[in-house]
Amino acid sequence: MEQVLKKKKHSRINKNHYGYIFTAPFIIGFLLFSLYPLVYTFYLSLTDMTLMSKSYKFIGLANFKKLFEDRFFIQSFLNTWKIWLINFIPQLGIAMLLAVWFTSTRLKIKFVGFWRTIYYLPNILMPATIAVLFFNLFSYYGPVNQIGVRIGLFKDAIDFFRSSTWTVGIVAFIQWWMWFGTTLIIIMAGMTSISPSFYESAMVDGANSWQMFTKITLPLLRPVLVYILVTSLVGGMQMFDIPYMLTDGRGSPNGSIMTMNILMYMKFSSNKGHIGAAASVGVMIFLVTCISALIIIKLLKEKESKREIKSINRGVKAYELHG
Amino acid sequence: MNYTVKTKIMRAFIYFILVILLLMCVVPLWILLVNATRSTPEIQQGVSLLPSKNLLVNWRNLTNRGFNIWRGFFNSALISVLVTVITVYFSMMFAYAIHVYDFASKKFLYSFIILLVMVPTQVAIIGFYKYMSILNLLNSYIPLIVPAIAAPSSIFFAIQYLESTIVKELIEAARIDGCSELTIFHKIMLPIAKPGAVTMGIFAFVGSWNNFFTPFVLISKMEKYTLPMLVQTLRGDVYRTEYGSIYLGLAVSIIPILIVYILFSRYIVNGIAMGSVKE
Repeated sequence: MEQVLKKKKHSRINKNHYGYIFTAPFIIGFLLFSLYPLVYTFYLSLTDMTLMSKSYKFIGLANFKKLFEDRFFIQSFLNTWKIWLINFIPQLGIAMLLAVWFTSTRLKIKFVGFWRTIYYLPNILMPATIAVLFFNLFSYYGPVNQIGVRIGLFKDAIDFFRSSTWTVGIVAFIQWWMWFGTTLIIIMAGMTSISPSFYESAMVDGANSWQMFTKITLPLLRPVLVYILVTSLVGGMQMFDIPYMLTDGRGSPNGSIMTMNILMYMKFSSNKGHIGAAASVGVMIFLVTCISALIIIKLLKEKESKREIKSINRGVKAYELHG
Repeated sequence: MNYTVKTKIMRAFIYFILVILLLMCVVPLWILLVNATRSTPEIQQGVSLLPSKNLLVNWRNLTNRGFNIWRGFFNSALISVLVTVITVYFSMMFAYAIHVYDFASKKFLYSFIILLVMVPTQVAIIGFYKYMSILNLLNSYIPLIVPAIAAPSSIFFAIQYLESTIVKELIEAARIDGCSELTIFHKIMLPIAKPGAVTMGIFAFVGSWNNFFTPFVLISKMEKYTLPMLVQTLRGDVYRTEYGSIYLGLAVSIIPILIVYILFSRYIVNGIAMGSVKE
């Protein structure tokens, strides 16, 4: 038996250099099309390059200094966070609630597959189509006003896209609408991979469903929640399609839906084509996203290790008392 | 008794919420499809959930004004199909290497992929644009297609999927029979991994089909516009009051995806769960 195992291992070893050959296309592609453009963007952010002029010079951190004095940048930063939070919190809440309902053995909800399929549907549609569709649905003479006025929801037709509050709300709603199904499916996958024996023994101990949710489901779901939080954050910080196409492409009204990515595009597509300034916005988005993601991961991990230490301490103490 | 009554009330309430969410997902799309068949005066008069007879007129109005939908379709289909093939093939190859071979940087590559899934990529678009303009590749589809070789989220999915699919004994047996490593990958691995490849392919296709930002920055020639770029022009002044035509243009852009979804929704819904971190 041992000999056979050894032989097997041997026949595999001499093929192992294929590991490098098979991963080489990815590595080359990554270096050429992902890493190099990123590094180049960092480099460009330190120059005053424009699309119009052939020559450019190295200007250090001047672009960044300008950005921090630019109230449009500050505004776009706040807008991006605002829209992301307004859509993400209800998205997570509703997805969590639905996931609990769908996996509950007491409620026995039927057609779970059907509901999930419908709720995921908005996510595969083209954002361009969704933006133009909602622009028409919420336009002054559009269906939302027609229905709203007829059933007496609002007294007069509302000019949604002239009100900052409404426009921000609509963008956040669209983002929520597009993503709550995905979040639901991921959370459900996480919940169903929790062993039922945890719940059974908790039930024996007389725990109610709220206790089981907070003491078993949430802690065991933490890695899934970190994943959802981080991927949603990465997407949210780069938000472009919906706010760009919903109004005039400059975040109107009053720049209320001008996200950081829209600002980057505005600098890039301006008359002079400020490549350097646009690149500096890209670098800022990159840094903001990475730092926030790291903080999230760190915070949620630290809690875990602290709790572990506590329980270990408790265990040690119990042992000492016992001994 | 009390307990079951409570459960029943709770259940009724939940179904009520589920139906409301369903209507929120479906009604906007239904209005979109119905309005594509109605005339502008009809649309302005009020909402209807039943189709009308203005489809052909809307179509003529839509295509008369330089909205070359077939061209957009062809461009998007060409890019998306090539992206799908490249993504699936190279992601599977990478995942296969991670699972089958023991090599030094294997662990590093695996954690690196997980890291890349969480890194924002669109922000490098300015550098990418300048780089492509130096290579004279603006208004070309190459920058939209070739980078699909390195698609971290697809690779992540492939690694998760192959973990339970690879049969090492089969690979060993093929080696003893004298198959080359590439032949084993092509003739044994890919056929076994077909269901996973289909799921990955759907995601790659939909992602590329819906992608607006990258082509929007890189492509400026009207005849090279992809479908999302064409759809975006529907918001402009050309169609200001032709609501029926606008809705029709939108409907045409989502119908292929709706068909794909009706056919493959099971693959798609199961695929999302597999492509995410569970532990």
